[in-house]
Amino acid sequence: MRKVWAVIRREFVERVRSKWFWVSAALGPIFLATLFFLPLLFAGSGGPERIVVVDGTTTRFGERVADSLAASGTFKVAARVAPRAGLLDSLTRAVIARRLDGFLILTDQTLEAGIAEYRASNAAALQEIAELKGVLGRFAVSTRLQRAGIRPEVVDEVQLRIDLQTKKISGSTTSGQSSAQSFSLAYIMAILLFMAIAAYGVNVMSSVLEEKTTRVVEVLVSSLRPFQLMLGKILGVGAVSIFQFVIWGVSGRLLLTQRAAFGGGMASAESGAEAFELPLVSTGTIAIFLAYFLGGFLFYSAMLATVGAISSSDQEARQAVQPVIFLLMIAYLSIWALSSNPESTYAVTISLIPFTSPIAMPVRWAASIVPASELATSLAMLVLGIVAVTWIAARIYRIGILMTGKRPSVKELARWVRA
Amino acid sequence: MTSSSASPFPTPILSLDRVSKRFAGHTAVDELSLSIPQGVIYGLLGPNGAGKTTTIRMVMDILRPDGGAVRLFGEPGGGRAHAERIGYLPEERGLYRKMRVLDVLVFLGEMKGIDRRGARQRAGEWLERLGLAQWRLRRVDELSKGMQQKVQFISTVLHDPDLLVLDEPFSGLDPVNTQVMKDTVLDLRRRGKTILFSTHIMEQAERLCEQLCIIALGRKLVDGALSDIKRTHGGHHLVVGFDGSAGAAQQVFADRGLVKKVDDYGQFAELELASGADAQVILQRLVVSGARLSRFELMEPSLNKIFIDLVGPEAARAVMRPEGEAARA
Repeated sequence: MRKVWAVIRREFVERVRSKWFWVSAALGPIFLATLFFLPLLFAGSGGPERIVVVDGTTTRFGERVADSLAASGTFKVAARVAPRAGLLDSLTRAVIARRLDGFLILTDQTLEAGIAEYRASNAAALQEIAELKGVLGRFAVSTRLQRAGIRPEVVDEVQLRIDLQTKKISGSTTSGQSSAQSFSLAYIMAILLFMAIAAYGVNVMSSVLEEKTTRVVEVLVSSLRPFQLMLGKILGVGAVSIFQFVIWGVSGRLLLTQRAAFGGGMASAESGAEAFELPLVSTGTIAIFLAYFLGGFLFYSAMLATVGAISSSDQEARQAVQPVIFLLMIAYLSIWALSSNPESTYAVTISLIPFTSPIAMPVRWAASIVPASELATSLAMLVLGIVAVTWIAARIYRIGILMTGKRPSVKELARWVRA
Repeated sequence: MTSSSASPFPTPILSLDRVSKRFAGHTAVDELSLSIPQGVIYGLLGPNGAGKTTTIRMVMDILRPDGGAVRLFGEPGGGRAHAERIGYLPEERGLYRKMRVLDVLVFLGEMKGIDRRGARQRAGEWLERLGLAQWRLRRVDELSKGMQQKVQFISTVLHDPDLLVLDEPFSGLDPVNTQVMKDTVLDLRRRGKTILFSTHIMEQAERLCEQLCIIALGRKLVDGALSDIKRTHGGHHLVVGFDGSAGAAQQVFADRGLVKKVDDYGQFAELELASGADAQVILQRLVVSGARLSRFELMEPSLNKIFIDLVGPEAARAVMRPEGEAARA
């Protein structure tokens, strides 16, 4: 056991000392920050919509709407002009020339029949349309109420703007996540899991391969059992990955708490933030993430250790690694199917099978309510999968690390496993 | 654990009892038995592909024998259980390239069961002794090949093993390191350690080994003390060296009444005398033939000669092939 410990320590110390480790420690948060802030930047880049209000009303309705829009932050009212011949054409030209984002046409018909017109380069922008509808509706109702003889104070009194918050129900608690948050959480978890499992699994592989090509393995195997060596390697690299996550976690928290400073000065970015909101990560989610990361890492690194053991050069290993990474990619490529339809047979199946569950289950967890029984089944199958894969891997590894020359065929591998 | 001095037949440090190993299609080691007493330098000799490395790997628990039994320090089983008492230098060398020299040695020391502090201290002493002290914090791949060989050798002896198993220890060594290796092996021998080494270079074996075993095609051809083997397998041997002209020496060598067998190297020949032949007659005939002699020496046969006689000319050619070109076992 002391020797396994020494193997673990060597893997850990050598990796943490390497440049590679600190580069990815630094790049991780930058990568995450990009994921978080890029949508905000895009959303904010246009700034408020510059519009002109074509006011054909004979009451003060148009003026009040324009003032309210100007105050909303979503719109910047460049001007409020009375309709005249050729005005609409010149405004249209201004929109085409991008001097203007759009214009709103109000007439007395707006108050009488509820008819208004908005012409813009992007007439499908939901955020703006919702804002316009809300403002117009509010003022139409209040103006009509006053016209019906209700006192202005009463009209003001009955006005209420509803801020509808959508929250995801998860187990017995309400998480406070919006559906946009759920998706972004699922998306980020899938990316992180895929990258981390693949990267650290490949680390185990290249470590096995190094010992094989330098023949250090002969000395090692004469001192400890091949299984102990493989175990030590996997645990050592696993410890490095946990350490990496701790670094990312701490710096990520720091980034989140400083987010106000980053986001400041972009008041309008609020709208973009809703489309890609920062998830509120619960302890349960972190636990699920870590459990499946560890499970996935153990499962795949045992396979990749075997790939290292049966290869004789980096080139050979790079070829042999592809089918394994492909297995992992199945779940990664299913993010959309998983998060948009988390209860489908496909989603449930791949979140149970150990080859795909390390990514699929956390994504489902983030996107919907996963029954406890399914979660338990998935974890149990993953544990069984790890035991089975490690057992097979150890048997191939034991023989493979001493082989040189041609890579063994599948038939030979099967014989090694039975031997 | 070690041999009890009370016993008239001390337990051998290592013994193989009809050990066999088969690989797909061929038998690498075939019912090989041998016994190595404590405190000797034991040579495992054979041409390439004879099964030397396979035998050593079975001793080291890297391969499991298909048949027969390995005993180490009187206990059944291979070397893994005794890792702290065995130093092993594999045929193909290598170290972790990106690690610092001292860290590599400490790690390999830990693999052999010594604690970090002890390993660190001993590694420091050995690096000092072999002139590598200022390289201790450098990465292995910054060292020259010769220095890497020294580091690997240190890793083999760091834990002060009772048994040293060296697979082709001199292959690829420069002359300086060959000397270092030889001195260290002899020093360990003086301290009562047992050394098993394999080689296909007979000159080294002849100078170092007290006991040996010659194998070919996985089978034992002969084993025992070097002096006994020479006595039983040697005839009368004569070495003749020429100084420039060999004259008509060929005719003298061709006389089967005098010479039973000849290995002619041009400037140098090794003769086996025919039974009853007198060396003085050969000397006279050579002088008359006009040969200019630089050397004329009666001697016991070289190990190389015995080896070639035993394993046959086919295998001998494989042996004479230079290092590296030889087919790997």
